[in-house]
Amino acid sequence: MLTALLLAIAYEINSISFPGMMPLFWHLLMVGWITQIIFGVSLWMFPGRTREEGVKAQKWAWLTYLMLNIGLIFRVIAEPVVSSSGLVVWDILIFLSGILQAAAAVAYTIELWPRVQSKEQRRKNLQKKRKREGN
Amino acid sequence: MPAPSRWMIRCSLLYLLTGFAIGAAMLISKAYPVYPQVWQLLPVHIEIAIFGWIIQFTMGTAYWILPRYLKTGGRGNSMLAKSMVVLFNTGILLNVISYLQFLPEEAVFWGRLSEVGAVGLFVILHWNRVVSYRR
Repeated sequence: MLTALLLAIAYEINSISFPGMMPLFWHLLMVGWITQIIFGVSLWMFPGRTREEGVKAQKWAWLTYLMLNIGLIFRVIAEPVVSSSGLVVWDILIFLSGILQAAAAVAYTIELWPRVQSKEQRRKNLQKKRKREGN
Repeated sequence: MPAPSRWMIRCSLLYLLTGFAIGAAMLISKAYPVYPQVWQLLPVHIEIAIFGWIIQFTMGTAYWILPRYLKTGGRGNSMLAKSMVVLFNTGILLNVISYLQFLPEEAVFWGRLSEVGAVGLFVILHWNRVVSYRR
């Protein structure tokens, strides 16, 4: 959010403006801040969270975090120059940015979808889990 | 988690996937403009990402998480809550279908009206639940 706001200030100063500034501002705000805080808080708050710490136990959450942020950083680096520079590296970064951010949405949905459940469903799932652990 | 929340959160996850997929396609089109018509989806991307994903997820979570009424232990009139879900999603879909030019432009007015109705119901349902029960 800080970066988004700094961009917004820079946008008001004509001498600092560069291509792709407004799309970057909006996506830093909507993806980097709002979407990411929704992801983070819901992964913590929704029922069915694993208590086990570590990358392996929380792989979908970690994948979401890494892919969303790497994707966004790639966009911040490449978007201002992609239309003016002929270098292939910027095209590749933009391509990867799109794929990584979309993949982050998929990883988040894989983690959260089964955790959207009623109290009754949750109770049944817990009973099943206990039975399985008992066997 | 009550049914209206489950519906809203699941719908919002579907909108998240769609919105990010369209966004990724538009971003990649900046580097590889193989199919520049994808930019016609910009209003759909904005509608889905802001109303379908961010606002709907927040409304669904608020309905679930805000304090329930002390006397009844409930969350208010469940028919109103179900109407809120239906109205909000009808509004989004009307707007999206209109942006895709399967409906006349005027449909956006009815789509927005439907969303306003849903937000009105959201306010009615939650106004008295924004409380502290501590003495």
